[in-house]
Amino acid sequence: MRKETLDPVVLDKLLSRVEKPARYIGNEWNMISKKSFDFRFALCFPDVYEIGMSHQGSRILYHVLNAMEGVYCERCYAPWTDMERALTEAGERLFTLETKSPLADFDVVGFSLLYEMCYTNVLTMLKLSGIPFLAADRDESYPLIVAGGPCTCNPEPIADLFDAILLGDGEEMDCELVETVRAAKREGLDKPSLLKRLSEIEGVYVPSFYRPVYEDGRYVCTERLWEGAPAHPKRRIVRDLDATPYVGNQLVPHIQIVHDRVAVEVMRGCSRGCRFCQAGYIYRPVRERRKETLLSQARELVRCTGYDEVSLLSLSTGDYSELHELLPRIIDDMSEQKVSVSLPSLRIDSLLKDDLEKMQTVRKGGLTFAPEAGTQRMRDVINKNVTEEDLLRAVTDAFTAGWCGVKLYFMIGLPTETDEDIVGIAELARKVSGCFYRLPKEKRGAGFRVTVSVSTFVPKPWTAFQWCPQNTQEEIRRKQQLLKTALKGVRGAELHCHPSVLSVLEAVFSRGDRRLTNVLINAFERGCRFDSWAEHFKPDEWAEAFAANGLTMDEYAYRERDLDEPLPWETVDVLTTVAYLKREWKRATEARTTKDCREGCNGCFGERCEDYCRI
Amino acid sequence: MRIIAAFEKTKELSYTSHLDVQRTLQRTFRRAALPLAYSKGFNPHPKLSFATALATGYTSAGEWFEVELDQDLEPTAFKDRVNAALPNGMRIVESFEADDGIDTLSKLIRAAHYELTVHFDTPVSPDAVFEAVRSIMGPDPVIVEKKTKSGVRPADIRPDILEASVKECSDSTAIIDVVGSLTAAGGLRAETFVRALLDRLHLNGYFTAHRISLGFEGSDRLPRLS
Repeated sequence: MRKETLDPVVLDKLLSRVEKPARYIGNEWNMISKKSFDFRFALCFPDVYEIGMSHQGSRILYHVLNAMEGVYCERCYAPWTDMERALTEAGERLFTLETKSPLADFDVVGFSLLYEMCYTNVLTMLKLSGIPFLAADRDESYPLIVAGGPCTCNPEPIADLFDAILLGDGEEMDCELVETVRAAKREGLDKPSLLKRLSEIEGVYVPSFYRPVYEDGRYVCTERLWEGAPAHPKRRIVRDLDATPYVGNQLVPHIQIVHDRVAVEVMRGCSRGCRFCQAGYIYRPVRERRKETLLSQARELVRCTGYDEVSLLSLSTGDYSELHELLPRIIDDMSEQKVSVSLPSLRIDSLLKDDLEKMQTVRKGGLTFAPEAGTQRMRDVINKNVTEEDLLRAVTDAFTAGWCGVKLYFMIGLPTETDEDIVGIAELARKVSGCFYRLPKEKRGAGFRVTVSVSTFVPKPWTAFQWCPQNTQEEIRRKQQLLKTALKGVRGAELHCHPSVLSVLEAVFSRGDRRLTNVLINAFERGCRFDSWAEHFKPDEWAEAFAANGLTMDEYAYRERDLDEPLPWETVDVLTTVAYLKREWKRATEARTTKDCREGCNGCFGERCEDYCRI
Repeated sequence: MRIIAAFEKTKELSYTSHLDVQRTLQRTFRRAALPLAYSKGFNPHPKLSFATALATGYTSAGEWFEVELDQDLEPTAFKDRVNAALPNGMRIVESFEADDGIDTLSKLIRAAHYELTVHFDTPVSPDAVFEAVRSIMGPDPVIVEKKTKSGVRPADIRPDILEASVKECSDSTAIIDVVGSLTAAGGLRAETFVRALLDRLHLNGYFTAHRISLGFEGSDRLPRLS
């Protein structure tokens, strides 16, 4: 194994050529340094430093892996285009932040896949490391290249790139992977034998043991190439979240990052069952941490980082069962140290007012609500159990408590949507605006804003809407225009629309199959990078890449799937059953809601309810 | 009590901006569990202020700041506790308690002393470099294109150059010692000095800057530069 680290003089030259050199210097407070280790893990995030450093999952894995005896886990982020150019021109390889080592020197290189639009950046990182893209082209001399994160619930579009794909919670699974690879290296095992062993770990999917079959241009089934591999690799979950290790001493970056604060993860999973929400379906069941654990974690994190903000993180923090006991205690505790507490999402309920007043006492964050749809019918279709009354009461409470701005999130292009639902968004904004202006002048603040933030619905695998077509771009643009017109005259309203062109590619890769790997490589070779950044997105190059492979984006994004059609992602098992998704789709079409599963089991795990629901 | 202190910023952290440094110090103080005094209001922040900002990319042997504490603390204890919590690349080098009468540092600052290392793209005769610096220090105006809010304008930077001399020079690199005026209202920017030098030599090049010291007036405990 080579042990070359980047020459400091060369590093300086590279840094002098880029816009934000501090992205590449490492050496942050709490960075882990190790002198003796026999196993190296490169934890890679395929986006820029400021985003990757904000990812809570990476923070957890960095801690968990480095806590292993003899294992050194280092970090690497996607280089921005200026650094990619500088490295390419200098003939230098991409390096980790800790020891400035090339990725090829590691035993395992693991990528976190949080969104489909980062896939080209994975290729950038492999290319700059001299590592072949396809798993089939790599022998034992290369590191094992693996991936994890929510995107792996449909691993197919990127399956050929990875030796192994990790489904679900990584805390235990990643350590088992490391131990297995370490033992295999000690025994001098060849790669096929190692892959066989890896496939025995619960949660690990080894794509090379499976071959998808296509007929008449469509996916029909998957053949298993080795009988020993599980028929459907199953998503891994940690059963006792409260006892699961957390982030340890969190890194404190030198430059500002996107989520520049400490966060305690109050729970994993969400019980609401919003039908568009992939996270809601693939992180089940709900597992909570005890409030005492959270309080001591918050205290400890503030102590070891010096941050002045703590966020209570989860998919739906307002649903945390002990929230109203936790909030006052954590706010009191933190305000003594002038540390503010923020909630990424709020549940619109009657106790909100007290919480809002509490939160006022320290620092005032922005207030965001996500009704997601403009009419009650539409909200019933998507199972977003929020009523207009709830929302208006919540914003009135907030405005009375001193807030004078609120952000509302909506989606357009939802299944069964009509123009009435679009105009309903504007009507809701008008009512929210009315709630503010109805307050007596002396009771309300100045400079009122209601920001209406609208994204385009992307049908996701493992949701009740996984069979639905996406609205075409023309249709989305028409609806955006309709909304713009309808919002005229609403006092304080401001409209933000997410560009729909990006959503099409997201829809394609979300529900794609294995044929997309070649499209991805082709697009990369045509210069596609950082596709989630509008200024970098190259729709024409993507269209060419699809054409070059005899495929169209329309087929993936706009085609309605038959309910009984085999779907490429069903090769893996995310625990939530397809039968349940079908039931949910049927109820959606009838605009019938499904209750929060804390109020009674809805049977989403089918026969395996006992194994997974009651933990 | 008010503590006045100086930190050095070395190569490792030279790529961080003034705002980054501000955040780093605030987090460091919290890690060091200092008894900080906070401003009042909804958005309390520690009372921390700097004599001046250091440009991103520069290193420095002494950047001065002041911070208010709401309990007494030995200045040496302040220094030790902060140093134990600072990341590599920053270190407190001096600290003392401010006398009651002393004005804020940004009002007392007068000058800055730099060591500039200029790398020339093409070989140069050292004599020409010596001559160019001598001519800059002559009686005539030194006109440089200066970026302002309203665009690029020619400006005379000669009044802001207090001293300049060549310390070392080869045919590729020159090390130049420069003292420039610096107050809250403005002063000499090292990059404009280098621009003037390269203009005179009709050359291109790049430079690194190290701030050796800041110069103040109005207190015996702060460094002076004249």
